[in-house]
Amino acid sequence: MAAMVNWLVFLFGLVCLSAAVFEDQAGKFDWRQQYVGKVQFAYFDSQTQASKKLLVATEQNVIASLNSRNGDIIWRQVDKTGPEGHIDTFLVHGQDAITVSGNGRLLRSWETTIGGLNWETVLDTGSFQSAGFVGVQDSVKYVAILKKTAISLHYLSNGHQKWVESLLDSETVQYEVVYSGGSGLVSVLGVVPHSHLTITTYNLEDGKIMKQVSVEALWLESLKPGCAVVRDGVLVCADPASRSLYTLKLEEEHEQEMRQVLLQSLDVELSDGFQPHVLATQPSPAQHPNAEFFLQLGPDHHILLQLGDDAIAPLRDFQQALLVSFATTGEKTVAVVMSPKNETAYSINLFSADSGRRLLETTTTFNHDPSGGKPERLCVHAFLKKDDSVGYRVLVQTEDHALIFVQQPGRVLWIREEALAEVVTMEMVDLPLTGTQAELEGEFGKKAAIQDGLLGMVLKRLSSQLIVLQSWMAHLWKMFCDARQPRSLVKNEVTIETLARDEFNLQKMMVMVTASGKLFGIESSFGTILWKHFLQKVQPGSSFKLVVQRTTAHFPHPPQCTLIIKDKDTGLITLHVFNPIFGKRSHITPPSLGRPILQSLLLPLMDQDYAKVLLLIDNEYKVTAFPSTKRVLQQLQEMASSVFFYLVDSDQGKLSGFRLCRDLTTELIWEVVIPTEVQRIVAVKGKRANEHVHSQGRVMGDRSVLYKYLNPNLLAVVTESSDLHPERSFVGMYLIDGVTGRIIHEAVQRKARGPVYFVHSENWVVYQYWNTKSRRNEFSVLELYEGTEQYNSTAFSSLDRPLTPQVLQQSYIFPSTISQLEATITEKGITSRHLLVGLPSGAILSLPKMFLDPRRPEVPSEQSREENLIPYAPEIPIRSEWFINYNQTVSRAKGIYTAPSGLESTCLVVAYGLDIYQTRVYPSKQFDVLNDDYDYMLISSVLFGLVFATMISKRLAQVKLLNRAWR
Amino acid sequence: MLPRSTTSLFCVLFQALSAVSQGLGEFETVSVGAPVNGDRFRIEGRAVVTDIKPHDWVSTARVLVEGEEDHVGFLKTDGSFAVNDVPSGSYVVEIVSPAYKFEPVRVDITSKGKMRARMVNFIKTSEVVRLPYPLQMRSSGPPNYFIKRETWGWTDFLMNPMVMMMVLPLLIIVLLPKVVNTSDPEMRREMEQSMNMLNPNPELPDVSEFMTKLFSTKGSGKSGSSIKAGKSGQLKRR
Repeated sequence: MAAMVNWLVFLFGLVCLSAAVFEDQAGKFDWRQQYVGKVQFAYFDSQTQASKKLLVATEQNVIASLNSRNGDIIWRQVDKTGPEGHIDTFLVHGQDAITVSGNGRLLRSWETTIGGLNWETVLDTGSFQSAGFVGVQDSVKYVAILKKTAISLHYLSNGHQKWVESLLDSETVQYEVVYSGGSGLVSVLGVVPHSHLTITTYNLEDGKIMKQVSVEALWLESLKPGCAVVRDGVLVCADPASRSLYTLKLEEEHEQEMRQVLLQSLDVELSDGFQPHVLATQPSPAQHPNAEFFLQLGPDHHILLQLGDDAIAPLRDFQQALLVSFATTGEKTVAVVMSPKNETAYSINLFSADSGRRLLETTTTFNHDPSGGKPERLCVHAFLKKDDSVGYRVLVQTEDHALIFVQQPGRVLWIREEALAEVVTMEMVDLPLTGTQAELEGEFGKKAAIQDGLLGMVLKRLSSQLIVLQSWMAHLWKMFCDARQPRSLVKNEVTIETLARDEFNLQKMMVMVTASGKLFGIESSFGTILWKHFLQKVQPGSSFKLVVQRTTAHFPHPPQCTLIIKDKDTGLITLHVFNPIFGKRSHITPPSLGRPILQSLLLPLMDQDYAKVLLLIDNEYKVTAFPSTKRVLQQLQEMASSVFFYLVDSDQGKLSGFRLCRDLTTELIWEVVIPTEVQRIVAVKGKRANEHVHSQGRVMGDRSVLYKYLNPNLLAVVTESSDLHPERSFVGMYLIDGVTGRIIHEAVQRKARGPVYFVHSENWVVYQYWNTKSRRNEFSVLELYEGTEQYNSTAFSSLDRPLTPQVLQQSYIFPSTISQLEATITEKGITSRHLLVGLPSGAILSLPKMFLDPRRPEVPSEQSREENLIPYAPEIPIRSEWFINYNQTVSRAKGIYTAPSGLESTCLVVAYGLDIYQTRVYPSKQFDVLNDDYDYMLISSVLFGLVFATMISKRLAQVKLLNRAWR
Repeated sequence: MLPRSTTSLFCVLFQALSAVSQGLGEFETVSVGAPVNGDRFRIEGRAVVTDIKPHDWVSTARVLVEGEEDHVGFLKTDGSFAVNDVPSGSYVVEIVSPAYKFEPVRVDITSKGKMRARMVNFIKTSEVVRLPYPLQMRSSGPPNYFIKRETWGWTDFLMNPMVMMMVLPLLIIVLLPKVVNTSDPEMRREMEQSMNMLNPNPELPDVSEFMTKLFSTKGSGKSGSSIKAGKSGQLKRR
C-alpha cells in the first residue's frame, strides 16, 4: 500500500511538473538556425546541368550539402570536434565525395544526395600530406593518399586498399605532392629543403617503382604553394629569391636539370614582398592538367601564363585581381578574376583560359558591405548556356566567414552568416519603447516639470494622450486591413524601424559575439539578423566578455554594451562600446589600457547618465574605472571599502580576494591555496547578478520554516584531481565566501572525474560528474540552509555570520552524458526552477529542480507528502516530452543562455553551438496569462446560454404567476 | 540593527576570466594527449527502423560512444555502422536521431579486442544481459515529444464531480414529488414534520437578527441620533 502511495506521489510530481510542448506550439515562438562553420572546401555538384547543390567541408569538422537556390542545408554530418575530426581534405569528382579526416586516419566516401556514408576505411598511422584522385583511361577509379612515410591507393567503389608502398628516405625527404595524369602512373614529389627534389613514379597496377629521379634544387624549400604541375606533367615552381620560374618534365626518362625562366624576361613587374603562389587546374584527374596557370605576384596582382612547348608566354596581366580561379565546363576552361570595383562593390570577369581574352557579357558586379572584410575564397560553377556561351555562379567567402552566393548579372541570391556557428557569448537586451511610449516617458522627464508650470503640463498631457489615441486608431486600422487580406500575405517582418517592446517584454534583442570577431544583433521572436558589425582587428583566439552597462530603461539615454576583447597572447584588452539595439559604435571613448587585465567587474553603481561602472583590474592590481567621470570616482571612493573581488590563478592553485582602496589601488585580504600537486581548480562560479529569490525559506510538513542560506557572495569552486587513475581520481566542490575567504563547505566525490558541469543559484549547487567506478554520470545537489531561525532577516553580511549553514546533499544517476547545464531564471523568482540540460544528442532537457532536492525522503512520511517531496529514486528519468526543443536538435551545444521576460511564468532560452535555438519555457506552466488553448468559444457560449436561459425562465415564471393569480 | 554600511556591503563576483579558462584548455590537452597504449578496436552494428528505408533517416543520425564526441560513427546508406579507433574499455553505444528512438547498448571490449554487448543498467552496473554482437539496434518508433492538449468533451463535463453534485439533487427535487403521492394527507403531515426537522432550531438566533442587533447597539453607544434607527430596527423586527 505504501509503495502504491509512493508511486502516486511520484506520478503526481511527474504530471504537475512536466513543462512539455504542445504539438500546435511547435514553431510558434521558437526557431532554429543551422550553420556549418567556416568553409574550408567548397564544390558545386556538377553531375547534371540543373543541379542545385553545393558540397562544403568546414573548419568545424562538418560536411554538408547546401541548396544553391536558397542556401538551406540539404544534409549535414557533424564529426567529432578537435583535431581528431579535422577534415584534412575533401575531394569531389562526379558522384564521388571523399574526405580524409583526423590527420589521415579515416578515409570516407559520402553519398551526396541523402548524406549517408558509402564506406569508411581506417588508414595506417602517419601524418597526412596530400590526396588526389587517380584516373586511368578517362575514368576515375582510385584515390591516392600520400602520408609522410607511405603512399596508398584505394578503390573508389568500396574503399579497399589496392596497394601501399612505403616511401624511401622519408626521414629526410618531405613528400608533399601526389600527381597523376591519367597515364597509368602515379608520381610522388618530395623535397629535401635547399638540396634537391625527388620524383618517384609508381605503377598504378601493382605499386612497383618505375623510376626514381633526384634533381638538384638548392633554392627550393617547399613545394607548396609555389609549385604546381601543368600541361603534360611539367612541374612549375616559382622562386622568390631569384625572381624566376623553374620548369621540370616529370615523365622524362633521362636525368635532367630544372630550366630557369627569369620573370623579367616575361615583362612582369614585381613588387618587393613577392610571395609566389602558383595556381593550375586539372579538369579531370584522368587527363593532363591545362597548360595555363596563374602566378600571384603581389597581394592584388596576378598573371595568367601559358606553358608552351619551349617557353612560357604571358597571356594576361591582372593588376587589380583580388582573387582568381579556374572553372571548367565541358571542354571549355575559363579563368575567373575578381577585382574590387569601388569601396562597396566587386566585379567578376571571365577570361578564356586558352587565349586570355575577355569573354563578352560575363561581367558580374555585386555589392558587398566593406565592413565585412575582404573576400577570401572563390568557388565558381561554370555552365554552358543554350547559345554555347558560358554562364556561371559564384560562391564568395569573406573574412567574416560569410558565404555570398552571386548569380549573373550581379544578383546576390543568398548570404549565410557562418560566423554564427561559433558564438562565444551573448546577452539579451530589452527592446526600446515605441515613439508614443517614449513620448509619454518624456512627459515626466525630470527637467520638464520645472520649466513648464501647471498649464504647460496640462497641455502636454492632453497632447500626449492625443498621440496615444492616434496610434491606437492606427493600430486598429492596421488590424482591420490585415484581417481583410488573406493570411498568406500578412507578414510580420521585423525591421530595425519597427522594433519595439511588446507588452510582456517577450521579444528582446540578442547580442551575439562570435569567435571571428563579428557581432550580431538578432531579434528574438523570429531570428532575423537586424545588424552585424565585424571587428577587423580582433586576433583569432581572443576571449570575449560582454557586459550591459546601460539597459533600455533609461530613456532618452541610449542603451550601452561594452565588449571586452582580450588578446590571447599579450593579455591586453581593448574595449568596444556600442549600442546593442542598432549595433553602432558609441562615441564614448573607452580608456586606453596599457597593461594586461586580470579581472573585470561591473558594479551596480551608476554615473549621472545611468551607465553602470566597469572596473578593470590590471596585473599590478591597479583599478581602472569606465566611465571615469569625477562623480563616479567620488562615489567609488566612498564605497571603496565595500567593493571586493577575487582572482583565480589555476596554475598555482591560488584563489585570492581583494578589496578596493580609496585611491583605486587594491589590498589583498584573503588567499586560499589549493595545492596543484593534488588537485587543480577547474572552474569558479558566483551567482547571477540579476537573480531574485522570492521565498526566504521552505515551509516544512510540521509548519516550521527552514530558512535558506542566501549568501550573494558565495563562490562555487570545482577542482579535479591531478591523479587520473580511476581508483584515486576525485572531484572537489568548495563553497567559499568571496568577501571573507571562509570555506563554507567542502564536498569531495571520490572515484569521480570531470568534465564537471555545474549550476550555482539561490541556495543550491547542482553538479554533474563521471563516476569512474560505476561508469555512469551522476548528478549531485548541495543545498544550504540557515536552519529554522534566521540570524538577521533584514540584510545579509558576510562579515557577520557566526553560524555555519546546514548543508544537505543527495546524488542521483543520470542516464546520459551532458554537454551543457543551465538553470531557468524568471523576473521575480516565484516560478519554480528547472534545470536545462543539453544532451549530446542535441536535445535540451528541462529537468524540474524538484527531482534534485536533497530532502527527497527514502521512506515517505506524512510530512514529506505534505511538502510534495518526491520519494528518493536513484535514477533521474529522461523523458522525450521534457525536451523543450522537440526534434529541433542543437548540435554541439556550447552554451545555454536564459533570461527573464516580463511575465513571471516565462523564461527565455537560447541554446547556441553549431546551431542557434531560441524558445520560451514555462517551468510552472503559464499561470499568469491565458493558455493558448483557452476556449473562448465555450466560455462565451455558456455565458450567452445562461443569460438567455434566465430571460426565458423569467418570462415563464411571470406567465406561471399570472396563471396562478387567475385560478 | 546592523549599521547602514553593512547593508550596502556587496561584492561583485564575476566568472573567472582568463586564468581559469586557460587552465581548462591545458587540462584538456593533458587528458586527451596521453594516448592509451594498446590497440584500437572497431565497434560494428546495424540500425533498423521498421518499415522505413535507411535513406530517409541516416543523414540526421549519428552513433555516439559514451555520449561524448571522442568517438563518432556515421551510418551507411544501408543502416550499418562502424565506430573506429575505440580503445578497450566499457562503453555505452547509442544512436542519436531526432526522428527515431533507439535503446542504448553497453559494449565491453577486452584488451585483446573481444567484444561483448549487453543491456545498459546504470543501477546494477555489473549485471550482464547479453545482446547480440555485432550490434542490432532496433528503433522503438518515433519519440513522443509532445503532450496532448486536454480537449473538451461532453462526457468529461458530465462526469465532473461538481456537475454530478449539482445534477443529482436537481433530479431528486424534480422527480421525488412525482414519485411520492403528495395528495395523501398522512404523507403530507410526515413531510411537514421532516421539513420542520430541517428548519433551524427556533432557539438559535438568526444571523440577520444578530447582525442588526450588533449594529444597533454599536450605533446607540456612539450617538444619540442613531438610537432611533436602532428602535426602528426593533420595531421592524416585530
